[in-house]
Amino acid sequence: MIQAEALTKLYGTDVYALRDVSLSVEKGEFAFLTGPSGAGKTTFLRLLICQDRPTSGRLVAAGRDLAELSRGQIQAYRRGIGFVFQDFKLIPGKTVFENVIFVPRILGLPDSHQIRHTYQVLKWVGLQHCINAYPPQISGGEQQRVAIARALVSEPALILADEPTGNLDPDLALEIMNLFRDINASGTTVLVATHDRELIRRVGRRTITLTQGRVLPA
Amino acid sequence: MMRALQYFFTEAAVSLWRGRRAGLVSIITITTAVFVLGVFLILTSNLDRATVAWRAAAEVSVYLRDQISTEERAGIERLLAESPVVAAREYVSKDDARRRFDELFPDLAAAAADLPDNPFPASYEARLRGGAANSQSVEALVRQLERQFGVSDVQYDRRWLDRLASVTAVVRWVGIALAFVLGAAAALTVANVVRLALYARRDEIEIMQLVGAPLAHIRGPFVAEGLLQGGAGAGLALLALAGTYAALDARYGVTVARMVGGVVIQFLPLSLGVVLVLGGMAVGCVGGLVAARGVR
Repeated sequence: MIQAEALTKLYGTDVYALRDVSLSVEKGEFAFLTGPSGAGKTTFLRLLICQDRPTSGRLVAAGRDLAELSRGQIQAYRRGIGFVFQDFKLIPGKTVFENVIFVPRILGLPDSHQIRHTYQVLKWVGLQHCINAYPPQISGGEQQRVAIARALVSEPALILADEPTGNLDPDLALEIMNLFRDINASGTTVLVATHDRELIRRVGRRTITLTQGRVLPA
Repeated sequence: MMRALQYFFTEAAVSLWRGRRAGLVSIITITTAVFVLGVFLILTSNLDRATVAWRAAAEVSVYLRDQISTEERAGIERLLAESPVVAAREYVSKDDARRRFDELFPDLAAAAADLPDNPFPASYEARLRGGAANSQSVEALVRQLERQFGVSDVQYDRRWLDRLASVTAVVRWVGIALAFVLGAAAALTVANVVRLALYARRDEIEIMQLVGAPLAHIRGPFVAEGLLQGGAGAGLALLALAGTYAALDARYGVTVARMVGGVVIQFLPLSLGVVLVLGGMAVGCVGGLVAARGVR
């Protein structure tokens, strides 16, 4: 599903965020990307969601060489991927339901499908009781569930999460990880970037470790 | 397509309501631009109509010296009678001229009555045949009349009508130039207001970009917001123009019509009103497009 070959990202003339990174994540796999702050985890995810272009090397995801994509192709590629962020990135002026249905609405899916599927996804992440609440009115764990529901609602083949439990206590963090495990069990590839070693140990999946922009041997 | 448009305009209306203070500023600038253009259009379209009406009724007025002899007057009358371009002629005596003045300007009649002598000259008014107003033979007749003894002045309508047409053209271009400048200022204001809306919704835009929303889908609401501001501004300007016209017409309409020879001052035709609203919307749309181009 994800294939990086000699991937390098250089900022300015001498700041290497990633240096000669080669790694792969198989289709249907659940993997962690870990390492200390500044190791290059977020840069790798930014390259995966085409917010940045590699300086050299090759990055292939969902069968596409990301360096070669045009603007229109990037939009089409992103429609097949779900993202979850540490700061949730919810729209405070929209209800929980509106924050999620916003995606199928943008994608132009039929109205009946939008409503039914949004409700199903919110029920699946356990938020059916607060669909009319606004993000500031619910807890951090619930906000992250909304973000996961929003990532899932377009039925993506790949979910990328950048420190999704960074703002949550350990119990809530484990709950969120269990959700990712369930998502992965239904066949979706999941790549989670986190520096929380204890959480990784408790979930027990393959780990790719980055340090100073390089992959540490397993 | 319809669903996308509905989405654009719903989002635009919500955004306009959220930023209604800033939105009001851009609506007022568009209102000002369209109002100014509308005033100039009303002026020039009425001047055009009046010019056409006055050209159709063009006359040559031959003013006579007070000391004119009977032979000299007969010579002038003969010249007018034999001219192929003159359809009819009328002799206006000094007393008739004064009476006309009194009728046209009743407020000044008393002042004219105080004068020791009648200052108004006698004249011949020659109505021209249809189509003769533009002919060379009228100019030839005017030159001949000017050379006649006993003639103090010859006024030919066409000369000042030509000057009026030139002035109308200048007024029109001044109006267009002014509206262009104000329109550009309005477009810039709309662009800045839409930029504020873009900034307020930057998180939403980022999420849209991340879920792969088409660029048109992200930019659409902001262009629609500019369009709504432009339409509202132009609509308000038309209402203000109609209100001002109605008030002035009620107060001065009859007097002005009498002064300009029965030509009734009219409001903008419906087609021009529609063009003004569409123009306002176009200005707003340009402003929205300029701002939305910032989303990549």
